[in-house]
Amino acid sequence: MSSFVLHVATLGCIYALLALGLNFQAGFAGLLNFGFVVFAGIGAYASAILSSHGYPAPIGIAIGVVVAMAIGCAMAGLGRNLAADYWAIATLAVAELIRTVALNEDWLTGGAQGISGVRPLFPARAGAGGDLAFFALALAMTAGAYLLYARLSQGRFGRAIRLMREEPALATSFGYRLVPLKIKATMAGAAVASIGGSLLAHYMSFVGPDYMLASETFAVWTMVMIGGLGNSRGVVLGALLVEAIYSAVPFAKDYFDIGSDIAGAVRVGTIGCALLACLLLRPGGMIPERIRSPR
Amino acid sequence: MLQFLVDVLIRTSDIMLVAVGLSVVYSLVRFPNVAHVQYAMLGAFATLGLTRAGLPFALALAGSCAGIGLVAVVLNTLVFRRLLRSGSSIAMIGSLAISMILIAVVLGVAGSRPWRYAPTLSSPLQVGTTVISIDQLTSIACGVGCIGLLAVLLFRTNVGRSMRAMSSNPALAAATGVDGARVLNGITFLSGVLAALGGTMLGLTETVHVGLGSNLLLPVFAAAILGGLGNPLGAAAGALLISIAETLVTNVDFGWVVGGSDVYVPVTYVSAASFVILLVALLFKPYGIFDREVRRV
Repeated sequence: MSSFVLHVATLGCIYALLALGLNFQAGFAGLLNFGFVVFAGIGAYASAILSSHGYPAPIGIAIGVVVAMAIGCAMAGLGRNLAADYWAIATLAVAELIRTVALNEDWLTGGAQGISGVRPLFPARAGAGGDLAFFALALAMTAGAYLLYARLSQGRFGRAIRLMREEPALATSFGYRLVPLKIKATMAGAAVASIGGSLLAHYMSFVGPDYMLASETFAVWTMVMIGGLGNSRGVVLGALLVEAIYSAVPFAKDYFDIGSDIAGAVRVGTIGCALLACLLLRPGGMIPERIRSPR
Repeated sequence: MLQFLVDVLIRTSDIMLVAVGLSVVYSLVRFPNVAHVQYAMLGAFATLGLTRAGLPFALALAGSCAGIGLVAVVLNTLVFRRLLRSGSSIAMIGSLAISMILIAVVLGVAGSRPWRYAPTLSSPLQVGTTVISIDQLTSIACGVGCIGLLAVLLFRTNVGRSMRAMSSNPALAAATGVDGARVLNGITFLSGVLAALGGTMLGLTETVHVGLGSNLLLPVFAAAILGGLGNPLGAAAGALLISIAETLVTNVDFGWVVGGSDVYVPVTYVSAASFVILLVALLFKPYGIFDREVRRV
């Protein structure tokens, strides 16, 4: 039982990294990214490919971050003259494009089979010790991302992107250039998501194109919206909650003896209903964003 | 050449009805409704359920269209109009939630295996070297017919005139006595009917399965955006353009690019064609290729 709790907590931390990254883009900068999971996919593939060629894990993670940031830069540049909802569709298309490439370029990504047997991060500690060490690492990364975003959002940059979200014309008149701001915000979100993806690849010791399905992005969106768009603490809570629901479904499946289709339906349906109820009843999420009053 | 034409037309009729429905409702309710493609999936399953209950196909189709039209109206009134008050992006995320719920319902009721309307495949017609099945002919005819009817409705009747008035200037339309709520409900109903029809036709030419809606998402949005969201006939032209591109991409020899011959884009990349077109369209003509207005973005 304790190993199951550890498993859920580790996955919760990994998804919290993704949710924090998306929250920085969507919550602080107001960028509706519907292809967000592609950054995590890039991190996961970079780690898997480089570690299968014998490079140490930190190099894989670093390369993943660099590539994800480059793609984030291109994605944000695409939104130069698009309204937010049009950009959302564009990011969805970018993500599907990258997933199609991952699905078809067998020589690089292993195609639909993906890459299995990604080396664990802590090979020296087998069993429970390794899991505990991995959880500690994921927790540390989440705390690091939380502090990073807290620092970024409190400074001048944070004020600029929040102003861009609320009043783009006012931000322009203050002399902020919106496109570079959008690019920086997207890259900051992409880097953390890529680290999350790398951790996921090492933890699952597997990467496949299914990591980049649009439904994965929507799951991260659910975490952010339920937790509280624009509030890092709420978003971490949302990630843990949604991950707990996801992990509880297999138990319900065994307990009530239902088929895998029904179990999948329950999973998707619960998340969908939670998201809808949250949007209708509590649009700010569980812990809404605090609007700071001038001191 | 004829085969090429047939391929293009089949693909066009697959995308067109759903894209037109999406576009027509966008002109009144301004947010991209992601759940619209799931209405198509739901419509295909509703028809399937009614035929299984013993109704003849045509009656089942009519029932499914009416049902999905009602679902669209109810969802629009209860959910989307409330969410739109907090902004179009919130409404878009709400439509995401709705599509998750719809997928869950269908997955729970019908499972993930593909279904067919009739146990046997219809016999194909052969014209020269071109092969086309009766189902595909039905689907093409239905698509073209519906677009014709829609054009008449929009440009020759009072309902169409009120709808166009509302989309270009809601305040003025209300001042001249257009009943906004009724027109809105009518158009939403119509979009649901079109989606159900498109979904059923797609189920007729392929199979009925739970991923039907999600597979449509990007091609349909590409077609609607290419035609300019809110411009229904533009969406039909967009669908035609997307189908031509998708069919061309796999049939053209790209040898001249690298200075050889027999260089084809792999078939597995067909779906990527519509994504690329969508991205290019958004980059250069974000309001669609038929947009003539000058405006500030």
